[in-house]
Amino acid sequence: MYWLSKKRYKIGFLIPTLVVYSVFIILPIIIAVSYSFTRYSGIGKAKFLGLDNYIRLFQDKLFWISLKNTMIIFVLAFVLLLTVAFLIALLLNNRLKAVDASKALIFSPAIIAPIIVGIIWVYILDPNIGILNNILEAFGASEMKQKWIGGEFWSPYSVAIIYFWQQLGYLVTIFIAGLKMIPNDVMEAMRIDGANGFQEVKYVIIPMMKTTISTVAVLVITGVFKIFEIVQQTTGGGPNHLSETLVTYSYSMTFTSSHYGYGMSLATVTFLLSLIITAIYSFLTKEKER
Amino acid sequence: MRSKKLKKWYSVLLTSVMVVGLLTGCSFSGKDSDKRADGGEVVIDFGIHVANPKEQEKVTYNIVQAFNEKNKGKYKVEFQAADTESHSKNMKLAASDNTLPEIFWLDASEAPEYDEAGVLLDLSGFLAQNSDVKNALGSMKSAFTDDNGQFGLPYQCNVQGIFYNKELFDKAGVAYPTNETTYEDMLSMIAKFKENGIIPLSIGSKNSGFAMWEFNETLARYGWEENIESILAGDKKFNNKDLVACFEKLKGLADAGAFPENMATIEYFDAKQLFNIGQAAMFGTGQWDCAEFDKNIGNKIGFWWGPIFTDTAYEQKIAMKVPSAPIVVNAKVAEDKAVQEAVFEFLKFYYSKEAAELSYEGSIFPATNYEGMGAADTQYAMNAMLNALASGWKSPSTAPDLTVTSAVQEALYNSLFGVMQKTYTPEEALDLMDDVLKNTK
Repeated sequence: MYWLSKKRYKIGFLIPTLVVYSVFIILPIIIAVSYSFTRYSGIGKAKFLGLDNYIRLFQDKLFWISLKNTMIIFVLAFVLLLTVAFLIALLLNNRLKAVDASKALIFSPAIIAPIIVGIIWVYILDPNIGILNNILEAFGASEMKQKWIGGEFWSPYSVAIIYFWQQLGYLVTIFIAGLKMIPNDVMEAMRIDGANGFQEVKYVIIPMMKTTISTVAVLVITGVFKIFEIVQQTTGGGPNHLSETLVTYSYSMTFTSSHYGYGMSLATVTFLLSLIITAIYSFLTKEKER
Repeated sequence: MRSKKLKKWYSVLLTSVMVVGLLTGCSFSGKDSDKRADGGEVVIDFGIHVANPKEQEKVTYNIVQAFNEKNKGKYKVEFQAADTESHSKNMKLAASDNTLPEIFWLDASEAPEYDEAGVLLDLSGFLAQNSDVKNALGSMKSAFTDDNGQFGLPYQCNVQGIFYNKELFDKAGVAYPTNETTYEDMLSMIAKFKENGIIPLSIGSKNSGFAMWEFNETLARYGWEENIESILAGDKKFNNKDLVACFEKLKGLADAGAFPENMATIEYFDAKQLFNIGQAAMFGTGQWDCAEFDKNIGNKIGFWWGPIFTDTAYEQKIAMKVPSAPIVVNAKVAEDKAVQEAVFEFLKFYYSKEAAELSYEGSIFPATNYEGMGAADTQYAMNAMLNALASGWKSPSTAPDLTVTSAVQEALYNSLFGVMQKTYTPEEALDLMDDVLKNTK
C-alpha cells in the first residue's frame, strides 16, 4: 500500500469529502449570508438592501428576547450539564451495583427523537394538563402552580431543563470514556500518596480530562444554538414569540413570515455568536493549559 | 507494475463514482417532461396543502377521483400532498427551479407574490372559453385578479364564524346567541360558562396563528374593508381609533376568561378537540369542520356570526362567506397543448354542478353558486350555517386576514393572539403591524 501514502493520492481521497463539505456546508452558508443582505419573500428576485436587515435586527425587540432566552438556556445547560454529567460519570465509573443498568437508564433520553422529547414534556409541564401542576395541586401547593411552558417567564428555563434531561446521558457517556483513558497507575500512585477523593479529582482527573471536558463544552455550546424541536413542540415559540430561541425565531421569520432575507440575517448572527462563544471558550482553556 | 497501475485506475474510478453518486443522490429527481403516463393518459399534478387528501380533504379527493374515473385513459390527476407549512416551502422551492406542479393550492396572501414572479397562468382565457364556469363563480373569482389577469380561482367558498354546543348552553342556562347578540351579551355568557366550569370559547395559538377565523367578523365590523386600502397605501395606520376599539374587545374577552388557560400550548386541533368532547361551549372555524361536528356533536350544534358592537358606526350586519385560498395553474402549462387541455378539462369539472354536489355531500361550500344545492337533514353543522346565511347579511369580498401580504398577515395573527394572551396592549399589537408593513415596503 506504499503508493497510497503519496501526497497526490491523499488529495484524491480527500476530494469527495471536500466536494461534499463545500457543496452542503460552505456553499449554503455563503448563500445564506448573501441573502441576509436582501429582501426576499422566497419567490421572484431578491432585492439588495445592504445592511438594513442587520440594523432592523438590532432594533427588533423579539430578537433581543430570543437572544436572552438562548443565553438563559445556554448558561443553565452549560453549568448543569458540565457539572452534573461529570459528577454522574465519576459515580458510574466506580464498581457499583446495577451500574450498567444505571448507565442505560441515564442514556435512554438521548435515543429518543427530540420531537418526542417535546411531546413527553408537554404532558409534564403544560399548565392545564401537565403532571407537574396537577401534582402541586394534589399536594395542596396550588399557589406554586406556574405556566411552566407557554407563559412569559418560565419557558426558557423549562427548555433548558428539557435539554439537560435529553443530553445528560450522552455527555455522561463521553465523560466515562474520558475517565477510562486515565491510566490506572496514575490513580494508584495518587492513592498511595494519600490523596483523598476530592484531591484525586482536582489534581489528576480534571487536568487529565481537559480535552474531554473541552469537547463536551463545545458540544453543549453548539448544541444550545441548535435547539429547535423542543421549543417547537412545547410552545411553538409562543406566546407571541416570547419563548423563541435564536434558531426558532430565525425559522419563524424565514418560513412562517416569509422574510427570507431577515431570517437569514438572524441565522448569520446565530452562527457568528456560536462561533464567537466557542472561540472564547477555546481561547480561555488554552490559556490555562499554558 | 501493471497491478499498481490497475489499482490506481481502480481508486480513481471509485472516487469519481462516489462523488457523482453523492451529488446525484442528493439532487432533485428531475421532472418528466413527458406528461403522458404508460396508459397514454395525460397526467397532471395537483399540489395540495394537506398530507393525506383522502382523509383531510375528502371533498377534493372525491372530485379528483370522479374526474379520473370519467376520463380514464385520457387524463389523470395525481396529488402532490404535504402539510400546509411543507407545501408552502415546497412550492417556493419548486418555483425557484421551475418544477411547480400543473395545478396547486396557494395561501391567498402568497399568491400575488407568485403572480408577480410570472409563474402563474392567467386564467382569463379559460373563463372566457367556459362562460358557465364564469357565471357559476360569480363574484367569488374577483378576489384573485390583478393587473396581470386572473391569477387563480377560489379553491372553495369559506363560511366562517362561531359554532356552539347547544347542550352546554342549556347546561349553563345561557340563551343561544342570535344576530342581535351584542358583545356585552357575550361577556355575560362567558361569565355564566365560567361559573359552570365550561371553557367559553376554545382557541389555541401554538403554531396556529391562522386559526382566528371568528375574529374576521370582528375586524370587518370595525371597518377593515373600508380602511385597509388606505392603510396599505400608507395614508392611515393600523394603530387607528377603530382598530384600537376592535382590539380592546379582544382584550375584554381575555380579561373575562373567554379562552382556555393553556391556549399558548395548544394547537388548533387540540382546541377543536375541547369543543368536540364537550368541554368548550364555542369554537370559531369554518365549514371544513362540519363533518367532524356532525359526528361528535350531532344535532346539538349551532352556528353564529359572532357578536355585534355598539361603539362603532360601521356596518354590523356582516357575515363571512368569502372565497378561500386560490388554486392556481403553473404558467408552463401553456407550453404544452395536451397538458393545457387536461388542466382546463379538470378545472371545468372542478367547477361543475357535479363537483358542487360532491362538495355539498361532504359539507363543504363550493366556490360555485348553482341553483338547487342543499345539505341533507343529517348534515347538522352545514344546515346551521345555511340557516345563518339565510339572514341575508352581506360578506366582504375577501376575508380580512387574506387582504394583506403574508408578512403582514403573520403580524396580524401575532397581534390578535398577543392581545388575547395579554402579551401586548391593543396599541402595541397594532404598532407591531405598522412596523411590519413598513419593513415590507
